[in-house]
Amino acid sequence: MTDTVDAVIDVEDVTKRYGRVLALDGVTMTVPRGSIFGFLGPNGAGKTTLIRILMGFIRMTSGRATVLGHDAWTDGVRARERIGYLVTADGLYPDLSGYDQLDYAARISGRPPVWRDRILDALELDDVALRRTLGTYSKGMRQKLALTAAAQHRPELLILDEPTDGLDPLIQRSFEELLHHFRDEGTTVFMSSHDLGEVERTCDRVAVVRAGAIIAVGEMDALKERYSQRVEVMFEHGIPDGIDEVAGVTVVHRDGQVVEMNLEHDINPLLAFLAGHPVKRMEVRPPELQEVFMSFYERRNGLTNANGRRS
Amino acid sequence: MVAAMLTRLLRQGLAGTLFLLAGVLLFQFVYPFIADSMGGASGLENLVSQLPPAMQALAQLSPEFLAMTGIAGFISRAYDHPVYLILSIAAMVAFTGRAIAGEVGSGTLALSLSRPISRWSIFAARIAGVAVLAAVFGIAGPVATWLGLQAAQPAGEVTLSQLVAMALLGALFLWTVGGLALMMSAVSSSTGRVVGWATGYLVVAYFVDVFAELWSILEPARPLSLFWYFDTTDTMVDGRVPTMSILVFGGVGLLAMVLGWLEFRRRDFVV
Repeated sequence: MTDTVDAVIDVEDVTKRYGRVLALDGVTMTVPRGSIFGFLGPNGAGKTTLIRILMGFIRMTSGRATVLGHDAWTDGVRARERIGYLVTADGLYPDLSGYDQLDYAARISGRPPVWRDRILDALELDDVALRRTLGTYSKGMRQKLALTAAAQHRPELLILDEPTDGLDPLIQRSFEELLHHFRDEGTTVFMSSHDLGEVERTCDRVAVVRAGAIIAVGEMDALKERYSQRVEVMFEHGIPDGIDEVAGVTVVHRDGQVVEMNLEHDINPLLAFLAGHPVKRMEVRPPELQEVFMSFYERRNGLTNANGRRS
Repeated sequence: MVAAMLTRLLRQGLAGTLFLLAGVLLFQFVYPFIADSMGGASGLENLVSQLPPAMQALAQLSPEFLAMTGIAGFISRAYDHPVYLILSIAAMVAFTGRAIAGEVGSGTLALSLSRPISRWSIFAARIAGVAVLAAVFGIAGPVATWLGLQAAQPAGEVTLSQLVAMALLGALFLWTVGGLALMMSAVSSSTGRVVGWATGYLVVAYFVDVFAELWSILEPARPLSLFWYFDTTDTMVDGRVPTMSILVFGGVGLLAMVLGWLEFRRRDFVV
């Protein structure tokens, strides 16, 4: 059992099959209240499938999923009273004006759009644009409107599937700041993305999904610490023999006196090795999310995922 | 929330619906003028007697029929005329096709599904839409007929109760068409597919009903056709909807809605 005390999303051993295709394979994870949780994976990994299950659009084949304490399928209406969900930009009514679309979304949400103005300001969606019908909008403008419609009623949980798709970089940064403000005001954000930079800038916690299974989950910093750091060492008298046999070290580049290594887990064996060789300069750099992510995807053989399954 | 969704559904494709409604109004308004231009009931009787029997069968008119039913019988033919049927059925099928399958295809259904609205409420808004459209198109024809009768003043009499019965029959028929199309929409993700399925069934049903007059081998299949129960002549002439029509249209429409709902409530919506 996972800890449900302060979890807004609690997913346990969720599997989803479409005929012979296994879209989700025993996914287990929790999203703590007050976090910005990134759900990271390439296209087709199962991110959207899990979101559809959480929203009650589709039924899981087996397992259990609760959102805000309510079963996602059987009691989803009560959960959705407190959720804001980002529909795809194409899922807006093209015959409505921007204002009409937002009003309609607010009306069927049953809650007043108290955050509308601040979101529109942050996303720079102006009055003139909002009076036009959506048929005249660019993809980016429709995405801004969809984001506003999702969050305008101050939801307790915001579920966003690829939220910044189609936004220009400046607006993307404004939106990321907005998410931090929402989090600070008590809203939990669960967002899927394949944009590693966005997740790294925005999220506190992250789950990495591959082929329908969670292969890593945890706080962003802890996740990075668990995986390889990049270490660059310049030796006084050339690169000594045996460095690539040090526990946890993988040499990735050699150039004269300089060696570049990936270091997994404990740094002490490396420090012990270096103690016997004069070092001119040493730099330890924490990994970027991209490196962590790629390490998951490159190590296909023998990897055990977060659910205890071999993938 | 059901009201908000219903309004949204009806506003979608409103221009097309109004265009079809205008066509129904115009067609039924003109029909009394046609009757008048042919000399009323007796003039029509003489004219039809000149036609070969096969043509009379295809037109579903005969001198004996006109002698018995008069102008009301002739006017009743306007309600199973292909133009009227195509216009009113098109409105129902287009609406129901958009209401679920179209919204799945475009992704707009996610907007309703992601809100605190039960699937039953979402489906109920669609049922309400079918009921509203069936009522509007059912009533529109007889209203236009009445206006046409007032303007053309053909020889013969059509009473208000006859037109009210015709409105009820038309609404019941369209309710059934809407129910069947909504059921098809509940299992599909494309408006085009719903239109194709519904049109396919209705065209076959129409031809079975019409050609059974000429080709006796089709006679046993006639009760399977919805048009068999769309008895415009009896309804118009007697001034009341046949009980069998009420039972079949009400029952089939309701059954189709229930089957549609059973699929809608359990369906995976990939939106």
